[in-house]
This record gives sequence, structure tokens and C-alpha cells, in this order.
Amino acid sequence: MGFRFDLLLLFTTLVLLSTIAPTVLSDVILSKVDRRIDLTSQIVRVTSTLKVENPGPDPVSEVLLTFPEIQAKDLAYLTATLNEGKGKVKKSGSNLLINVAKPEELPPSLIFHSVSLPKALGEGDSLTIDVLAVFTHALRPFPEEITQADIQLVLFQDTAHYLSPYAVKVQSLTVKLPKARIETYTKLENTNIHGSDIKYGPYENLPPFSYAPIAVHFETNQPFAVAQELVREIEISHWGNVQVTEHYNVVHQGAKSKGEFSRLDFQARPHLRGASALRNLVAKLPPRAHSIYYRDEIGNISTSNVWGDPKKTELVIEPRYPLFGGWRTTFTIGYGLPLQDFLFGLEGKRFLNFSFGSPINDLVTDNLIVKVVLPEGSNDISISTPFPVKARTRGIIALRTKISHLDVAGRPVVVLEKTNVVPEHNQYFQVYYRFNKLSMLREPFMLISGFFILFVSCIVYMHVDMSISKSSASYLAKLQWDEVRATIQQVVSIINQCLSKHERLEASLHDLSRTGDVQACKTARKTADSLFKEYSKELKPLLSFLQSSPQATQILPKVEELVAKEKELQERLIAKHSTIVDCYEKKIGGRELENRVASHQQKVVALKQEVDDLLDYIEEI
Amino acid sequence: MGSQAAAITSPVPVAWYPTLAILMLAVGLIVTASFFIYEATSSRRNRSLAKELTTGALASFFLGFGTLFLLLASGVYV
Repeated sequence: MGFRFDLLLLFTTLVLLSTIAPTVLSDVILSKVDRRIDLTSQIVRVTSTLKVENPGPDPVSEVLLTFPEIQAKDLAYLTATLNEGKGKVKKSGSNLLINVAKPEELPPSLIFHSVSLPKALGEGDSLTIDVLAVFTHALRPFPEEITQADIQLVLFQDTAHYLSPYAVKVQSLTVKLPKARIETYTKLENTNIHGSDIKYGPYENLPPFSYAPIAVHFETNQPFAVAQELVREIEISHWGNVQVTEHYNVVHQGAKSKGEFSRLDFQARPHLRGASALRNLVAKLPPRAHSIYYRDEIGNISTSNVWGDPKKTELVIEPRYPLFGGWRTTFTIGYGLPLQDFLFGLEGKRFLNFSFGSPINDLVTDNLIVKVVLPEGSNDISISTPFPVKARTRGIIALRTKISHLDVAGRPVVVLEKTNVVPEHNQYFQVYYRFNKLSMLREPFMLISGFFILFVSCIVYMHVDMSISKSSASYLAKLQWDEVRATIQQVVSIINQCLSKHERLEASLHDLSRTGDVQACKTARKTADSLFKEYSKELKPLLSFLQSSPQATQILPKVEELVAKEKELQERLIAKHSTIVDCYEKKIGGRELENRVASHQQKVVALKQEVDDLLDYIEEI
Repeated sequence: MGSQAAAITSPVPVAWYPTLAILMLAVGLIVTASFFIYEATSSRRNRSLAKELTTGALASFFLGFGTLFLLLASGVYV
């Protein structure tokens, strides 16, 4: 078996090492090491509490952590925090800086990470560091293929002695297993088992690079959900939304399924026939997520559920079929989030503050691509991530553009890539950019100009003469008819103006009856007279044109009648007006006035009606 | 960072989008109707280009913003 051989090789190199190593490394001593390995899920979390002591005279500013190469390639996440509170007080949250170190004279089968201490450790001083290392793909299914009825057994290998370039005084190891069967485990001296925990140690006074391989073979029916590729697209709209679209390619990387799959057995006894199958995934979305969807190439997948509370939105999605070992599925989830929860402004710049990893619980992502689509017109883009990301370590932010709704140049896209992502990577990262508020008006301006072009083309169409033959009879007739129509419209508008003047005269009479101000009435009359004269002057050429035009023969009598009637109406009205003004001047009132006016009044009303009818008739043409 | 940074909100509250869309589209369509009535009824000789252009500009302003808010209200965040 391959990994057995690897371990053997490693062991031999270690034996060789122990003779040369102490000479090249600082003489730090680990006075106490407590390790807890959590194997309850597919993600292996190793928490180590190291008590570092410096017995030598030289100050020590960094501590080396060692991982064998076969483990190091599965290492997804590594943090070290200073534990100042002796266990009872809360740990200080500040993470220590970790770099990959390559001490000389050490073989490449060991990978070193150096933890920089906040202040150098003097002689005789000691401090405690908590180290969290997260490994993926460290549990190997054994047997590698199982049938639907089998349980899933996995194998985990590590060392019972803490692998370190330093001598370790006291150490112990606890392996936490899921509450299920333990097939076998390596029994060394001081090995105890308490329920589902296996305890190794304490071991005392071990030299540097001590190594005691152990293997634990146990049952776990946790599905090994691995997203081989996850593309997260985060699109910002300054109109109030952050749209997240996540494309998953999920595979169950537990023991492969062999033999046939019986849906009946699976439905009838799901915990015996398909215990390790992946039934659903739970995604913890941010609060106030809306417009959530879950679909694949076929369309909507209806087996999903959402619960919301003020702290989070929980989305439970079931694939179209249960995923057995080696089976895969692809799907897309998407949701909208309120802008004000994620976008902030700081010193003229805007930044998006968003979590990096997948919102799905207990999911390992082999290859994560995060695309942040910024609004059109963003510039001066920079990113800040709490851990190194591919696009960043190369010193280049892969910038592309995406054409979306109502775009001209396309939106700038920041692409961040990272392999081997675990839920511990769900930390906030920031994308800073500058954005001019006026750029927001681009989209409405495009819509407005689109509509305006439509209107302008209508105007152009109405104004442009598009007939081919400019000399044909019908074309000329049409031109003439247009002219006749225009003239008639002018006539009608003049008549309408006259009518409005009539109303003003009537109003002046009304004022007279209230105030008795004869002078005001007379001036109103004078202005009206002059206006009427002007109007009749304007009417004359129009009428003569109509008379000369052959196209107008039909309508002409009506127009002439209209003009005549209006003239009559005008005369009557003026007569009425002067009579009333006369009466007021001569102080004739009451019955006498009414008698004199009555005949005029009747005629005025009748004529007004006739003029209105004629106007209606002409306007309809 | 969090204390100094101010959250950025949309220029118009999101809840107003449907109302704004309906109002602006209604006004826009009315102005459009008046534009086309004017085009169809006035004869070629006494049509005023300025009036046509202003009516068209007004209609396209309201229709443009109305469409924008309609898109936003229906979930197409531009």
C-alpha cells in the first residue's frame, strides 16, 4: 500500500534526522504539548497547545511547526494564537504571523512553518501557543468501495508523538471519533479509550523528531461533501443589491459505491441502506437574504427549504438524488442581499466586506473562485484578504470585465482563487474601489436616450417627405390638401381666439354689474375692437386661399358660414355690450335694461351654439 | 474599520421602487400619448419642432426612469 510505504520512508528519514537536526535549530524546549484531533467530520481539525520554553541564552523570536510532506499537502488552514490566560481567561484573538520556512540541511519530506512570536522569548521565559491546523482529504476510506448496505469505514494516520524539531517534555494526544464503531486502532504504551475518545500518553522527555505512527480505523457515516469547483459571483448594484450566484460541482468523496443502487431499499430503510449517502446540504446565508433560488441545468429544483431569523437565513437544499460515494452533482444557488449590510464608504473609497468561503456547512472546496463584479465605472481597485489568495500572491489581480444589464464598457471583475478551502476560511475579505456617484446615472441615461431616439425617429418620419415621384397628381393633391388643412386649422384657431375675446367681453359686463365701473368696460371694448380688426385682417388671405384652392370646394361653404356666423355673433355681442354700457351711463336700470338686452341676448346664445356646431364639424375633418 | 466606515445605501429606498415605477411610467405614457396625438393631428405646415422635441424629451425622461424602477422593482438590479 502506497501510504504505508510513504510512512516507512518518512520514518527512516526521521531516524537519520535525529542525529543531525539539533545542531541547526535553536534550543527551544516544548515543556508541555496537548493535542486534540477531531475526526467527527470529514475535515480533520488538530488543535495543539504548545508551552514553549527557552532554556538557552539566545532570545527566540520564532517557533517552528513541522508537518510531514504527506500531511502538508492536505493542510488547508493553519493559525496560531497566543494563549495568555492560562486556560481560564479568554484567549487573545490576535493571530500570529506564520510563514513557510525552509531551514537548510533538512530533507524536503518535512515542511516547516515558522510562527513569529510577538516579542522575543528571553532566557527561562515561556509562553503558550494554540495552533489550529485543518486538514482535508486526510481520512481515507478503507475499504475504498462499499455497497449500498455497507457502512463507511475510514482510516486516519498520524503520529502519537508530537513531530517537532524541539525536545518535548510532556505530551499527550486525544483523538475524538464520531460516536460509532471503532474497527481497530494502534495500541502503544499508555493508550486508553474513553467512549469515543482515544487517549495516547502522557509521554515524557522525547527527543526532537520522535515519531510513533498510529492508525485509527473507524466507522463514520458523515458524507464527504467536496465541491471540486465552486465559482462564487458577487455582483454589486449601487441601486441597493448585492447579488450572489454560486455554481457548485459537488462530489461525495467517501468510500465509492459499488454494485447496484436500490431506490426502494434507500426509501424503506435509509439508515441501513445508504447510511453514508449525502441527503442534503445546509447553507447558512447572511440575514435578510431574499430572492433565493436553487437550480441546475434542467431548471428549478423544488427540494429546498428556507428559514429566516434576524441573525441568519438557513437554506436546506436536497440534490435531485442522494449522493453515494463517488457520485457527483452540479447545481447553482443564488440570493440577493441588501446593499447596506455589505458595502461601506471610507475616506472617499468604497469597499465590499464579504465572507470568502462557501456558506454551506462542512463542505470542503477543492478549487474556489470568487469573482467580485463591481459596478461599471469603478476604478482604483484593490483587495485585502485575511489569508493569502492565489491572485494576490502572484501580485496580479486578474481583472476582467463582464457585460451585464445596460452596460457599455462592461463591469470590472476581481477574480480571487484559492485551493483547499474549509469553513475556517469563511472570513471577511474586502474589495476597495473608487466610484463616482454620477456614474449611477448611466443606466437611466441609456434608457432615456433609447426612448428619445424613438421619439426623434418619429419626428423625423413625420417631417421627411418620402414620396418617390414628386410630380405625380396624387402627390400634388396631397400637398394641396395638406395646405388646405393647415389653412383651415389657422382659421379655426383665429375663430377660437375671437370666441375667447367674446368671453372676456362678457366677463367685463359681469364686472360692470358688480362694480359699476363704466370706464374699465369701455377700455375692454376698445382692446377687443382692435383685436377683432386684426383677426379679420388675418382671416382675409386665408379665406381667399381657400376660395382659390380646388381641394377646398367641399369644405369652403362651411368655413365661410363659420366666419359669417362668427361675424354676426361678434356684432350682436358688441351691440349688446354698447347697449348695456349706454344704459349704465344714463342710469337706466332694472326692467328697462333687461328689455333692451333681451333680444340681443337670445340671438347671441343661438349664434354661439351655431358657431360651436360648425367648429366641431370642421375640426372633425 | 467598522466604526468609521459608513454603510452605503441606495439613493432611493428600495421599498419605493414599485410605486415610482408605476407613477413614472403612467406619466411617461400620458406624455407619449399626447406626443403621438400631436404628431397625428397637427398638419405638416403648422407643426412646431420645439414642441415636439420638448414633449419627446419629457416623455423619454419619465419612461426612462419608469423603466429603470420597473427593472429594479422586478429584481433586475442594473
